[in-house]
Amino acid sequence: MNRKVLFVGLILVAPLLVMLASGLRHDPREVISPLIGRPAPEFALLDLEGRRLSLADLRGQPVVVNFWATWCQPCAAENPIFAALARRYAGRVRFISVIYQDTPQAIRAYERQRGSWGPALVDPDSRTAIQFGVYGVPETFLIDAQGLVHEKVTGMVSFDGLTRSLEAML
Amino acid sequence: MNAASKRPRGASILQAICAPMALVAFVALFAPGAIVAQAPGAPAQDPAPLGPPLSGAALDRATEEVASLMRCPVCQGLSVADSPSSSAVDLKAEVRRQLAAGFTGDQVIASFERAYGEFIRLEPKAEGFNWMVWLMPMLAFAVGAILIYFRLRPQRPVARTLPSQEDAKPS
Repeated sequence: MNRKVLFVGLILVAPLLVMLASGLRHDPREVISPLIGRPAPEFALLDLEGRRLSLADLRGQPVVVNFWATWCQPCAAENPIFAALARRYAGRVRFISVIYQDTPQAIRAYERQRGSWGPALVDPDSRTAIQFGVYGVPETFLIDAQGLVHEKVTGMVSFDGLTRSLEAML
Repeated sequence: MNAASKRPRGASILQAICAPMALVAFVALFAPGAIVAQAPGAPAQDPAPLGPPLSGAALDRATEEVASLMRCPVCQGLSVADSPSSSAVDLKAEVRRQLAAGFTGDQVIASFERAYGEFIRLEPKAEGFNWMVWLMPMLAFAVGAILIYFRLRPQRPVARTLPSQEDAKPS
């Protein structure tokens, strides 16, 4: 009888173990973006000076799209990383940022104080953020020259990690 | 009834328990779409609206209904309809815009799913691996009921007069 109980127990538990084991391969905090490998959502937004910038206009070279806000501490921490990478890849990669749930006034004040590494685009009602499936900031999307989403970085980027990704795209 | 005649009944109990479990495991692990995956390069754009453009009270009602099926991305288990967060407010506004443009509720949720993945659905779709979520509780209940039935049912007098070897062992 004990063997039967053990056997039945194993049969009951096995599917759960398989399910849990498959989960070990994933970072529980990370939700994989379904946009990877797909065309990036198109957008045409205005920057702080009122100039229109569309993703379609940037086709032909890799684009880094960073969603951020002034109230976001990790966003402030990754600001120098983007500034350094924008300098290193000037002319080869476009770096743009999309303002997430923040005001142009706050962004202007922030940029006066800390500088800017690329156009900051105003995203009314977070519509572009929604199209990109943004959960929170910072989130960064790497779009290749063909306009396909190459990678999504959730949370703060690292200089080395982003460099590796950009080199792979170039 | 002797020990030899008990064996087939025990085996049939095991079969009754194991067969559905194996079926669930098979369906969950090997069914098409078990892992959320779609062909790379598929269009992410919305198809044409399939419903009538909504307005007024019908739009309010439909917005609440669709938003209640969507998970607030920055909350713990709250729907977009229930969450007061600014993210949820923006998502709800987008739901409203799409419904007003004539997209059906299914189309609206599908459009969010293309950006956020299946996570955006408060209830997972009943397909592939997700069948585990729907079937496991029912199976666990059925298995429990079967086990309880066989443990608690009255013993037949014949079994007492002819104990099996296993019963005769000292504990």
